[in-house]
Amino acid sequence: MSRNRSAIRFVSWCCLSVVLLVIYLPLVPPILFSLAPGEPDAALTLRWYLALWRDPVLVSAIATSLEVGIIVAIAATILGLGAALAIRELRVPRLILALMLLPLFVPGVSMGLATALFFRLVGIEASLVKIAIVQTAWALPFATLIVVTAMSTFDPVYLEAAYVSGAGRWRAFVDIELPLIRSGVSGAATFSLILSFNETIRTAIVQGPLNTVQTYIWSTYRQVGLSPALYALMSLLILLTLGLVAAFVVGGARPPREVSVGDFAAASSQKP
Amino acid sequence: MLGRFLGRWGFPALPIAFAAVFVLVPLALTIVVSFWTRVGLVVRPAFTFTSYAAFFAGARLLVLERSLIASIEATALSLLLAYPIAYFLAFKASPRAARTVLLLFTVPFLVNYIIRAFAWTWLLGRTGLINALLIATGLTSKPLDWLLYSDVAVLIGLVTSYMPFMIFPLWVSLAGIDRRLIQASWMLGAPPARTFLRVTLPLSLPGVFAAAIFSFVSCFGESAIPVVMGGVGYQMMGNSIASAMDVLNYPLAAAISTVVLVTMMGLLLLWYVVFDARAFLGMILRPRG
Repeated sequence: MSRNRSAIRFVSWCCLSVVLLVIYLPLVPPILFSLAPGEPDAALTLRWYLALWRDPVLVSAIATSLEVGIIVAIAATILGLGAALAIRELRVPRLILALMLLPLFVPGVSMGLATALFFRLVGIEASLVKIAIVQTAWALPFATLIVVTAMSTFDPVYLEAAYVSGAGRWRAFVDIELPLIRSGVSGAATFSLILSFNETIRTAIVQGPLNTVQTYIWSTYRQVGLSPALYALMSLLILLTLGLVAAFVVGGARPPREVSVGDFAAASSQKP
Repeated sequence: MLGRFLGRWGFPALPIAFAAVFVLVPLALTIVVSFWTRVGLVVRPAFTFTSYAAFFAGARLLVLERSLIASIEATALSLLLAYPIAYFLAFKASPRAARTVLLLFTVPFLVNYIIRAFAWTWLLGRTGLINALLIATGLTSKPLDWLLYSDVAVLIGLVTSYMPFMIFPLWVSLAGIDRRLIQASWMLGAPPARTFLRVTLPLSLPGVFAAAIFSFVSCFGESAIPVVMGGVGYQMMGNSIASAMDVLNYPLAAAISTVVLVTMMGLLLLWYVVFDARAFLGMILRPRG
């Protein structure tokens, strides 16, 4: 019986590994084609990576991507924190959660079109603002889910303790809760940054004159097709995404530190 | 006083206002614009069904049919893959292993699915890895050319794009099931298969439906996969919207998008009424130790 069961376990893990392998497989070819384009036995070269920096359109797209990424990471994290607080404090938690998760169920092209029509009607024309808003709306459901998950592991008894020590709601949140859900906050910011770097469709519809790296890849593909330089760019994005996840796992996901008496003293001493 | 009021209510109200202004209002605007009229290159407010007539008449009906079939196939296939994985993670794997595997499924989902679709065009192509493997193992003598630029290719693109994320809602609903109910079924003498069909599966349906709506609507409105993997002229709802926008026919684009949005709203309503969406949302919010 137990041998039978462990055999089933082994087969299950094997099937799971095969699915994971298939899901990870597409991350490999762009890297191969950027290092050795053409013949399979061609010599390895980094020239396509160097060629990227000679394209002024691309260099400005990289700058835009970085700017937008930082804005989206900050905005979506703050909004996600606010949403998680709203879910806990207001009377209709499930309704607010449903509203926050709605963008997950809207296809990118529909959301892009809707926002583009809205921007035109309201008269928002600044390219950077439009891209940042549409990407923040896309990242917000994920940021909210991550913060909500982190908050659900937080014991509200700490807040009670802070109130008893004389801290106001705001101080208790900033001094006691925020440090304890730190990994959730850094997770939300990392996810938002990654989602921003990897968004194409919504951005391409509202973009205006500015390009991000992803819209650059998409429009170059539509106009002239794939090239070793594009594969180099894709490889950099894949490595950046993997790197950010790794940085989060190593740095951000550490267990939160213990709360000390000093924290409550600090929270209560600053009461207005 | 005002500062404290804003501190207490302003911060939580901010994301609600953001979602209302930049998600709800634009989506409503899409429905409004779908009834507007286009005169030359100018779009004017009106109340006409011209755009819907243009969509439902003629060749575009084929696009609707193809999108429906592709979305249903992709969703069914994804559920068949994702449900056993979520079940295994919720009931058979240790919490630590489950968290690690969930993270492993997140990472490729985060990499732009368009980049992954570009990679698939090589993997599935005549000189690609899959054909090379098939020939090397002797399964075929010459490369299969229906693997790329076909319905099969689009299906593979859709499943690999959206399946990884479907594991999450399924896992949330399965991990949230009260184990005592399963133990009770077992103690009352039900065999494992019967326990699964009568207890576990029904209790996980809110999550199954959440995953299914996510996949179905995403595939139904998908605009890049048909372009990259379907080949020249492969039209689905999503890239029909994009091509209507390319010729600046915004009312038509809005009308096609409204068909997608109404489908989405209908499914969300069904989820709420029949499949207990409230219980599922409650499971996400439940405190975990």
